[in-house]
Amino acid sequence: MLEWIESTDLSLAIREGGLPYPIIGGVHLLAIALFGGMLLATDLRLLGWVMRGRPFSDVWYQFRPWKRVGFVVVVATGLLLVWAEPVRLYGSPSFWVKMALFALVGVHALVFRAKVYGHPEQLDAGISSQAKLAAALSLILWAGLVVSGRLIAFDASFEGQPMGNADYHNPLGR
Amino acid sequence: MLAEFFRWLVNSPWSHFMNSYEWVFPAVQSLHFIGFAMSIGTIAIVDLRLLGLGMRRQGPADLAADLAPWTHVGIAVMLTTGPLMFSTDAVAYHFNPSFQFKMACLMLALLFHFTVHRRAVRPDVPPIAAELAAATSLVLWTAVVAGGRMIAFI
Repeated sequence: MLEWIESTDLSLAIREGGLPYPIIGGVHLLAIALFGGMLLATDLRLLGWVMRGRPFSDVWYQFRPWKRVGFVVVVATGLLLVWAEPVRLYGSPSFWVKMALFALVGVHALVFRAKVYGHPEQLDAGISSQAKLAAALSLILWAGLVVSGRLIAFDASFEGQPMGNADYHNPLGR
Repeated sequence: MLAEFFRWLVNSPWSHFMNSYEWVFPAVQSLHFIGFAMSIGTIAIVDLRLLGLGMRRQGPADLAADLAPWTHVGIAVMLTTGPLMFSTDAVAYHFNPSFQFKMACLMLALLFHFTVHRRAVRPDVPPIAAELAAATSLVLWTAVVAGGRMIAFI
């Protein structure tokens, strides 16, 4: 299955096409900045560290469209990067940590939808401690996703393999 | 002189620290990513607002003032972790074309941010000027990120 993915034209084009890989990586990073900015503003508002004078529902609704755009782009480019080298990623512990965290993001959304994100107007009167917990967990999860994602390039399992953006002895290659 | 400075950087205590454990470099790099998500992400919010693309529940000046502290924290994190990574292999970075491109764009982007951009949010600025400033800001910061990603490849 993984070998089949790697043998597809798309996978080959990204992996060995030269420019496509860093370009997709660059778009992935830009989408992280876009999504991250929107997420940060929303979660920090719940924690009361930004825009305190503004009702939460205002903050929630005005950042949500771009947050969604950022999320879609980050996931789409992420999938392309996975498609390019599934065999190597399969052997990367950091990749699996990242996937586990991503699953937890889904759990987080399900758990807090009913009481926090589903009814932002209810938080306009005051931010519940449950909402603050949701915000803190969300920030921790997404920071963890960034860290584990970055660690993929450094996993020992990658050493000595082609496409050397994982070489410990060549900091420029990471 | 530059060569001497680079040698001093590479042999500095923080450079040694960066190379001490395998996890230090990726950890600092992750912080760099979080720092730029914070700064560029919040700058992009203001830019998109200036372009009229969302965030319409607040005026641009109001939005910029609300987010400024977090933009500055992000810039501070970015400008701390970046030089730390540079110190580990200063000479190689110095001669890397993507790095040179990134630094040129970064200088322009920072200069632009603290001069034109902060004025562009004022209500008395003509819309076309504000939109131009926002588009310039987005292009400059995109170039910074793109240049940074290319360091590992070119």
